[in-house]
Amino acid sequence: MMRKSANIVLLLLAVVFCYGLQISKPHYGDLIGPIPARGKLADTVVGRAFEVHAEKIEFARKLKVDQFGRQKVLTTGGVWAVVTVAFAARAESTVVSVASWRGPTGLTYDQTERLSFMNGLLPVAVDPGLPRKARLIFEVRPDQANNATLLISEKLVAALDSQAEISLGPVTITADGLPGGAVDTLDMAEPL
Amino acid sequence: MTAEALDRNNRASERKWRRRSLWSLLVLIPLALAVESYDSVKALLGNNDLFPRRVAWGESARFGGSDWKLTDLRGAFGMSNLPPDSVPVLADFQVKIGDPDLQKLWLGCKIVLVDKDGRRWSPTSIVSLKTPDNVGNCISAIFSGAKSGDTLDLRETFLVPKEATKSVRPSVSVASERPRFLLFQLEKD
Repeated sequence: MMRKSANIVLLLLAVVFCYGLQISKPHYGDLIGPIPARGKLADTVVGRAFEVHAEKIEFARKLKVDQFGRQKVLTTGGVWAVVTVAFAARAESTVVSVASWRGPTGLTYDQTERLSFMNGLLPVAVDPGLPRKARLIFEVRPDQANNATLLISEKLVAALDSQAEISLGPVTITADGLPGGAVDTLDMAEPL
Repeated sequence: MTAEALDRNNRASERKWRRRSLWSLLVLIPLALAVESYDSVKALLGNNDLFPRRVAWGESARFGGSDWKLTDLRGAFGMSNLPPDSVPVLADFQVKIGDPDLQKLWLGCKIVLVDKDGRRWSPTSIVSLKTPDNVGNCISAIFSGAKSGDTLDLRETFLVPKEATKSVRPSVSVASERPRFLLFQLEKD
């Protein structure tokens, strides 16, 4: 009898121990996922293969772009968010190709694909010692502009490689539902 | 033999085997690790340039079945529209084809510049200088259909910061030779 109840207690202890491990330890997906390199706007975030420095964010209702010699105005149902960044490679030439915008509620937006073939868009090739500027352009919902996080990595599958996580800080939302400081039209032909 | 003696005998042999098993773990565990990691180690060695083979200026070296020789390394100064403090660097090679199966031997061909701190520059697409028609690059050479005994002129263009131009040296690697790679020395080295 004594032995039986001791076994039951031991089993219960094992269950509690395993449950504790399950809730307190990172999941497998987190362990083999991207390794975050965190920073703020205007910081230089250093990853394994590249460094990135987010200089400024601009919001706009419309984007003016030159495509194949023709001028085009791109409108949006949300808001355009344009982040100007400077990249530098560390020890080896590399290509930075993926960026996404994660809003405060976790909605994540990939870079827009509506502006193909424009200079300064990802993917950009960067060489050691030669910093290079780029524009990251997203089309987001205005309520995802505040306290957003910019995620940048070399490849789409950044497993066990560094991913820059840049917190972009608070943005006030004005009465018309747009982020504060949003302009009507942003000209993408302006040099970086 | 009494039952007791038999029992004692069994116990002794059991102990002997238990000890043998424990000792065998010393061999088996490292062996299991080696078998498990074999593919990873092979991939690691096959994807990285680890062991340089220095080639003196003016000499050629057998690599990937052909004889490689660095003929020139120079900066192209005075170009406009470049990032500040950057210099295009041209590396010219002359390769005498030995084994003509370039699609196999030169697969994953990479020509990079390495400086004294170990930083590596890949060929650039920012600068495009006009090259003579008979000058190719590593990748175009693979598909050129060159035969044994032919001599190919190869050129790669790089963009490096001004401070690094003094110490950069060209390096050549192909998948069939990795982890070994060629590191060419200059006249002044």
